[in-house]
Amino acid sequence: MKHSTKDTKERKHLNKPSRIPGGSFVFDKFIPILLIIMGIMTVGLILFAAGVLLGFIQF
Amino acid sequence: MTINHILPFISTAIMLVFTVHVLQRFFVRRQAHFLFWGIGLAMFGAGSFAEAYLSLAWNEWVFFMWYLFGAALNAAWIGHGTLNLLIRKRWVHILTVLLVLGSLYAGYLMLQVMPALDSSIFTTERLISEQYGTKVLEPGEAAPPGRETTTMIYRGEQVTVVRGLLPLGSPVRLTTPFFNIYGLLTLVGGALYSAFLFWRKRVLPNRVIGNVLIAAGALLIGFASTLTRLGYGQYLYVAELVSAILMYIGFRYAARPQPSEGEVTQTIPAVAD
Repeated sequence: MKHSTKDTKERKHLNKPSRIPGGSFVFDKFIPILLIIMGIMTVGLILFAAGVLLGFIQF
Repeated sequence: MTINHILPFISTAIMLVFTVHVLQRFFVRRQAHFLFWGIGLAMFGAGSFAEAYLSLAWNEWVFFMWYLFGAALNAAWIGHGTLNLLIRKRWVHILTVLLVLGSLYAGYLMLQVMPALDSSIFTTERLISEQYGTKVLEPGEAAPPGRETTTMIYRGEQVTVVRGLLPLGSPVRLTTPFFNIYGLLTLVGGALYSAFLFWRKRVLPNRVIGNVLIAAGALLIGFASTLTRLGYGQYLYVAELVSAILMYIGFRYAARPQPSEGEVTQTIPAVAD
């Protein structure tokens, strides 16, 4: 069975994973900075909880 | 009635929809991570429902539900679902046993403290997050407005405390940092790690954004819980609502079908699929 050119193009599209667009401010700048900031905040909260657990921080 | 009395009702409704959505996926796909997420989200919803109820009336078992599920366990259970996607199954099984045993122990400690609850100080005028804990006042420190204080002997010393529902030094309060640390590591850490992996491979932008939103929602509730522990419980309800919205949008966004997603998820763990 022959496929039309349109079908072949659609199949090619579906075989490609969705890509992050190049040159995007959101993905090239904003997301990495956000990941770092949130990582630091997570470590801070974990240290706080550990401080409560070990008795350094009164509650 | 203030806005803080209404917020938990909205949070409860959102968490109910979120929980049903996740558990439906579990029943269709039979994947363990959906089950743990569903249980954790149900706990989150139970905590929100308890806040809604306690803004209207007192009930000690609703308070039990609020503290155990809302304050102690939910983040750990949701995060454990994420961990199912990120590490080997053998380690997951060991951690599952520890989580279940730890949760049962926390439940046991909560049951132990129930007869000692000081319900005489309860009022619907204040949020439950502002009146649940008994706090020692440092010398020179003033009690928050409208709060009752008393003097008592604690660990051999005379101390002035702000009265709360849970007695001073309740062992169950020491279990919450364990669950919160585990929840932060697995839920926030897992979402950030997944977002980073997709971002580094430059694939599935919906999952990058979705995981960032899930991490942001979980971090927000982490901060609000920390403030609550420090005596600033007035921010908890609004943080819960925003957190529920962020995590639900993040989950829906990350779960959107993408071209050839199957090929990618085989190599990269995802927080939501």
